[in-house]
Amino acid sequence: MFKSLFAAALLLGFAAAPALAEEWTYTDGTGQTVTLDHVPNRIVMHANTAAGLIPLGIRPIAIYVDTPVAEDKSLQGLDLTGIEIVGEAWGQIDIEKVAALKPDLFLAEWWPLDKAFSGLESGAGSTNQQILKLAPITGPTQGDSIVKLIGDYEVLAKSLGADLNAPQVVADKAAFEASLEKFKAAVAAKPNLTALPIWAGTDGLYVAATAGASELMDFASWGLKLITPEVADDRGYWETLSWEQADKYQPDLVLVDNRSDATMETAKAQPMWTSIKAAAAGQVTDWPAFWLRNYKAYAGALDKLTAAIEAADENLTN
Amino acid sequence: MRAGGLIVLLCGLLAVVFLSITVGARPISLGDVWAALTAPVSDSTTHRIILELRLPRTLVGLLVGAALGLAGAILQGATRNPLADPGLLGIEAGATLCVVLGIAVFGITTLSGYVWLAFLGAGIATVLVYVIASLGREGATPVKLALGGAAVTAALSSVTSAILLTSVQTLDQIRFWQVGALTGRTMDILWQVAPFLGLGIVLALTTGRILDGLAMGDDVARGLGQRVQLSRAFVGVVAVILAGAATAACGPIAFVGLTIPHVARAITGPNYRWLLPYSMVLGPILLLGADIVGRVIAPPGELQVGIVTAAIGAPFFIAFVRRRKLAEL
Repeated sequence: MFKSLFAAALLLGFAAAPALAEEWTYTDGTGQTVTLDHVPNRIVMHANTAAGLIPLGIRPIAIYVDTPVAEDKSLQGLDLTGIEIVGEAWGQIDIEKVAALKPDLFLAEWWPLDKAFSGLESGAGSTNQQILKLAPITGPTQGDSIVKLIGDYEVLAKSLGADLNAPQVVADKAAFEASLEKFKAAVAAKPNLTALPIWAGTDGLYVAATAGASELMDFASWGLKLITPEVADDRGYWETLSWEQADKYQPDLVLVDNRSDATMETAKAQPMWTSIKAAAAGQVTDWPAFWLRNYKAYAGALDKLTAAIEAADENLTN
Repeated sequence: MRAGGLIVLLCGLLAVVFLSITVGARPISLGDVWAALTAPVSDSTTHRIILELRLPRTLVGLLVGAALGLAGAILQGATRNPLADPGLLGIEAGATLCVVLGIAVFGITTLSGYVWLAFLGAGIATVLVYVIASLGREGATPVKLALGGAAVTAALSSVTSAILLTSVQTLDQIRFWQVGALTGRTMDILWQVAPFLGLGIVLALTTGRILDGLAMGDDVARGLGQRVQLSRAFVGVVAVILAGAATAACGPIAFVGLTIPHVARAITGPNYRWLLPYSMVLGPILLLGADIVGRVIAPPGELQVGIVTAAIGAPFFIAFVRRRKLAEL
């Protein structure tokens, strides 16, 4: 009697065990799978990944950032209370701080060109690889669309237990979709409008290749005509122009890389800046370069672009 | 003969100036260049390139090249050290640190803002080096100046590196300045530094007699009635004015200051009254020449003059050192 009861309890116990500690699996864009015996809740993230997941309700215990936190565009407006900072320079992760936190997972973005996750690139700190001894690393792949990347973050967040139907999450997505419709309408209303994404230095003008930035590929897929530079450097991101050649491309709207506010100041300080007709006419706005990771930030950036497109004269140049 | 050589070099300098205004990343015909200089049309892009890009950068290159050539020559003379250059007394390290601090702490991002910071840094660093070298009984001897300069340079550079490592944004801003460049130098910057460069050049040309005295050694110079410490301090101040203003305008371009005096010395011999004007003319020939090469070597972009000067100058200098016995200091 006791014996059979014991056996039944044992059976029950076995049956219940997997339900108590749920296994967690994630397959990244390259097909690599990470499996843990429980859903991770002590996650250390790269700043951009945190910017993708915090708005969906998944909070890291620590983040490593490529710049001082205040200068990181992707983190702007996010509540970082209680999140430890374990790196504030590109390629630098404080391995001792990370180890003390006993993380169960690292999350970052996979960069196909570098064949590495953010923070583990070949030029990054040599001790960074040691984080892999503490816990595995995974994350979505950088590709040709920020919208797709945000979708990948939704899948990842859901697997980590996020409620994608939470009011704020739903509202952010709806606001983005409304902003997107306005953007598409503004672009469609100005079929002749061309735009040129640039970064400006005192040494020259850098023209961005559309294929080098996910958000530029999004804009192009929504109908915005981006001028593509003829020659790109060996990484395929930019064409470098001497300021003497700054008028090589004549767009109706100039998009200035806004990772740093100084870029716009530098551009305006160059005598030949106004040899670009759009710059002379003030048809200049921000390019949210490389840092968009969530719907809220994307909606804000799109609204700004929409306003600039609506205000621009599409026939400034032919 | 030395006067004749100087005239030849002046003709060379004129040729370099002519090329600096006519050659660039954008091909512009001689007719257009002439029109830009004589009858400029304000909304012509071509004319604006000549007047707002090439003219200021040529004038800045002319003054800075002369200043660096002279600064190197008088520093080598005053310290009797053949390796002396504007880097020796901590001038460049001080200027760089001050500019980096200005960007990182005060958010200054314009070249015209860097000018004053660089000046301040150059001055503070040199005073510091001089004070350190003056400690002890025998005062600021050449050896102690060189060692003090090396120590201060190392200390200041490590602070600079520490700041740059932790602020990518500052690194982005400083990177083009730190290489040393003539691009982006506008008339504003020229007006800011020209008075200092002009004053420094005039003062430097008067130091020939002092340097000829110091070249005989401190004891002989003293025996001839020269006030050695005072002379050395005066030459130091002139060098700070020259190298500080040059660094402020273009960023650190050390190489010109190191090599030009050796080339000049090979032509003129050790007499500073000839060596100084030769250095003054050879400096801008090298600097502007390198800048012109940098403009056309990587179209449609440009290469920074600091890189080109080192790339062209270093092999030339090595060949030069190997081929002939350099005049002793």
